[in-house]
This record gives sequence, structure tokens and C-alpha cells, in this order.
Amino acid sequence: MGKLIWRNLLRNKRRTLLTLASLMFAVVLLTFLTAFLDLLTNTEAAVDNRLVVRSAISLANPLPESYGPRLQRIDRVKAVTPLNWFQGVYLNDRPENFFARFSSDPATLFQVFTEYRMSDAEKQAWAAERGAFIAGKALADKYGWKIGDQIFIKGDIYPVDLNLTLRGIYTAPGVESSEKQIFFHRRYLEEAMNNPGIVGTYFLLLDSPDDVPAVVEKAEAMFANSESQVRAETEAAFQLSFLEMIGNVQFLFQAIGIAIAVSIFFITANTMAMAARERTTEVAVLKTLGFQGGQVMGMVIFEAVLVGLLGAAIGCAVSAAAITGMARQLDKVFPLFGTLAMTPRAWGVGLGIGLLVGLVSGLFPAFSASRLRIVDALRRVA
Amino acid sequence: MSIVEVQDVSKNYQRDDFTVKVLSNLSLAVEEGDFVALMGPSGSGKSTLLNLLAGFDRPTEGRLVVAGQDITRLSESDLAVWRHRRIGFIFQFYNLIPVLNALENVELPLTLTKLPKAKRRQKAETALKVVGLADRLKHFPRQLSGGQEQRVAIARAIVTDPALLLCDEPTGDLDAQSAEDILNLLSELNQQFGKTIVMVTHDPRAAERARVVLHLEKGQLARSAERVA
Repeated sequence: MGKLIWRNLLRNKRRTLLTLASLMFAVVLLTFLTAFLDLLTNTEAAVDNRLVVRSAISLANPLPESYGPRLQRIDRVKAVTPLNWFQGVYLNDRPENFFARFSSDPATLFQVFTEYRMSDAEKQAWAAERGAFIAGKALADKYGWKIGDQIFIKGDIYPVDLNLTLRGIYTAPGVESSEKQIFFHRRYLEEAMNNPGIVGTYFLLLDSPDDVPAVVEKAEAMFANSESQVRAETEAAFQLSFLEMIGNVQFLFQAIGIAIAVSIFFITANTMAMAARERTTEVAVLKTLGFQGGQVMGMVIFEAVLVGLLGAAIGCAVSAAAITGMARQLDKVFPLFGTLAMTPRAWGVGLGIGLLVGLVSGLFPAFSASRLRIVDALRRVA
Repeated sequence: MSIVEVQDVSKNYQRDDFTVKVLSNLSLAVEEGDFVALMGPSGSGKSTLLNLLAGFDRPTEGRLVVAGQDITRLSESDLAVWRHRRIGFIFQFYNLIPVLNALENVELPLTLTKLPKAKRRQKAETALKVVGLADRLKHFPRQLSGGQEQRVAIARAIVTDPALLLCDEPTGDLDAQSAEDILNLLSELNQQFGKTIVMVTHDPRAAERARVVLHLEKGQLARSAERVA
């Protein structure tokens, strides 16, 4: 039976190849979209018991420095650290030289970002020197930075330039994206800006993820009647909110994906219908030999699923290879997309679509074949 | 003992508003081990009768007992099982599966059994040996002549060792020599292996091989002739 199905598949090689090719291209496109969406929605660096508190109006609106100690006093809050997105320009404004630059507090950063690892000596060296900065290992490796190296960052959002000295290199095991950023002394920025006492965001570490709802409620209530109201959310929600800024990308990608899946379904369904119609006599012959309707149905569906899965598997393999190569190149020119990868979800979407398209496209011809009356089929041929 | 009993069988087809009567109250019997030729002009109902005997179609009225089973009472799935065990069908145009070689074509009905692969192969090889194609096991249908294709089809029909062989103009698509060879083979299967054969044919030379020749006309048995050996 398996041999018959396989040989039938290879019977019209050109048609099978064209169907496989169209499936493959569709799956490549779908998996690319999925991988890209996964990259945009990637929250691997987020920790469940970490909250972000920011202005309720927008990220561009800073919060007063005085909010930090008050947030620290909320029950179940273990630590609070301020982070300001500095941005700026390093070397030039080419995308390959873009990385995240934050001002922070050396005393509290590692209390909140507990997954970061750096020696105590380096922590002390950073805290002791106002013009010091620390860098993630991946970033330091990329630029070949060594302790003591100096870098210059030209301000853009903030109208100040920074001359920084590397005093520490931290690691973030298992989260490479977290190693592609730098942190410098927030006092340095404050002084350069004439001490405005402002903070972009506060990051809070809680005792447990179960404390999130209560702390969110308390933090927002705490500043509800103030001039700068706050919005508190989990770190993952905070990261995903950036995606919303560029529109409903997820919906757009899903709509494109569905359109691709539907068109590929019609192509495969047409192929399967043609293949089944050509074999009407053979189906009748199988029935004269004693094959039952269900067995014939199974054969047709299995063949369709085989086509679907084969096309999808090839598509996924091509996609995986292309995405890996592309990520390597992107990492050089646009590091934000350097972690683009063929995610398990992309594999699942690719193979799932192949399976579904095969199953659905084979269903009607299979049902027709199972219901075919031997006399009708033989009379049609005669 | 009768292996086929056709009792008052009628078969009508509906064509638009018309009812076409193909068989009318037909009754006949075929004895076990017989070789019967069904003859008659086109539209006389001989192929319809063969289809009814094979369980491909159901009679409008009447009863058909074939190989000890009243097949008019069987469901479609029971019919399929019954056909697999009791009937070998030989078509005019061979109807081999083009993507399978001779051995695989003959083995195909055995894939429905629980026989191990080696045993299936052995049985298929034996069937092909019986029809004289032991040297063509790996040949695909397109690599065989018409006569050889029909031999493979006969091997496929006998591989499950059915009691009854139903042949629908088995020599209709063959040249004289190949037709002769096929008829010799059918005679051999009848005489040496005891297979009961019911064969529809237009060819008087083919009918000469049968012990009984039944003539159908307008859906009824016109006459019956028995050949004395």
C-alpha cells in the first residue's frame, strides 16, 4: 500500500514537483513571517516578577526622581532601579553600530537584574567612577572593548555628549540579547543636564510573580492624583508595547499568512482532485480486488498529506537555512535583528500548514473515491 | 452443485424519464467447475449480469446466490470482503496498476490479508508461474504486450484462489494468437485447477472453449447450448 501511494506520488513528476515547489515557497514565506513576528514579540529577557513603571501618558514623558524611594516602600517590592534610554550615536549612525544605551544606578541595577553576572570588583569600579560604564559581553566582544577603553557617544535625544570608560563587562547567561547593551552612571547624565531629577522608567523586582497584580494596583494608585501618573506593567508587556507602536503587525502578518495558506490550499486541492480523477479506473479496480471505501479514502488522504508534509518540510528546511544565514548578516548591520531564528513556533506553523493543507485538500477527492461505484467508474471508461 | 444461482433477477436503469429494462426475470444456474460463455448482441444484458454476479451492482428484483452467499443481502463492505475471497475478475482492458510491476500487481489483493510479505511474494510468484510469466516479475505493464498484461491480470485474479472467475471479454483487445493463448490458459485453469469460469464474449472462437454457452437477448435467456466433450 505504501509503495502504491509513493509511486502514485511520483507518477506525474512535473506536477508533483510544481505542487511541492508552490507549497515550499508558501511555507518559506509563512515561516519567515512567523520567525520575524517571534523576533518582534520575543520577551526572553523578561522576568515574570519584574515590573516596569513609566509615565501613563507616554514613554517620552519622564517621571520624577522622587518616585523611586516611594515605589521601593510598596509591600513585596524587593528592589527598584531607574533606567533612562539615552540612545545617542556611537561611531556613526549606521544601523550596525546601534545598541541600547541606558543610564542607571550602579547601586541597584544588579539588585533588579539579578540574572546579570559581573564581579564585585567591577561593580565597585563602576560605582566609584561617574564617567564609567559597563557593557554586555556580546557587545564588548563585537567591538573588542577591554576594561579601561574609552568610548564617545554623541547625544541626540539628550543634548549632551558622553565620554565613558569601560569598567565592567557583565554576562547574562542564556539571554544573548541582554548582553548587547551598555549602562552608565545616571549621575553623569543628571549633572550634564543640570540635575533635572528625571527618570524614564523604573524597574521593580518583586518577591514573586504572584505579587504582580497587587503591586501594579498599588503603584498606579500611589500616583493617581499626582501630576505624573504612572502605568505599571510586567516587563514582557512593556516590551510588547513597543510592537504596538508600529501598528498591529501581528494582525497584518496573520492576515498575510492566512491568505498564503488559503491560496496554497486551492493549488494542492486542485492537484489532488486532478490526480484522483485520473485514477478513477484504478480506484474501481482496487474495489474489485476487495479494497473497501475506507481503505481507498485512506490512501488518497495519505498521499495528499504526504505531499503537504513533504512540501512543508522542504520549505521549513530552506527557511531554517536562509534565516540562519540572514541572521548572521543582520547581526553585522542591524544587531536588533541578529537574534532572528527559525523558532519552534515557525517550525510548527510550517509543518502544521503542510499537514492541514494536505488533509483538507485530500478530503474531497478521498471521499469521492470512497463513494465511487465500480460500475459507474468502469462504464465511464468504457 | 450450483456455484451461481440467478433467481428471477431483473435490472432496470433510470435514464432521465425513461426506465430501461436490461434484465427481465432472468433465472439460471452455473454448476461448480463449469466453464460458461455468455453471448449475445450489445445491450442484451450480458455485461450487466456479470456485474451483478461480481457484486459491482445490485439487481432491481430477484436473488443472486454466488459461491454460497446471497449477495443481494450483503452491505457494501461485506461485499468487498466477499469479492476478495470468492471472486476473481478479469477485464477486457486488463486494468493493471501502471505504477506497480507484474509481481506487485499480482501481490496487491494479498495485501488485504494478514499474510507476511515473504508469503505474499511467494504466492504472487506462483500465480505468475502458472500463467507463464515467471520471467517477467519485475516488468511494468508498459513493458509488457497486451497478451502478457492479460496474463498478469489473470494471475492477479487467481492469486487469492477464488472459486469463481468472471471474465469480461478477456480476449476482446488481443490479436488472434494472444487471444488463443489466453483461452488456453483459461481452459487450463478450468480443467486442471477446477476454477468455475463465467465469460462474457462476442467471439465465437472464445465461446467454443466453454462447456456451456448461454445466449442472452433483450435481457432474457434466449437459448442454452451445452458442448459435449
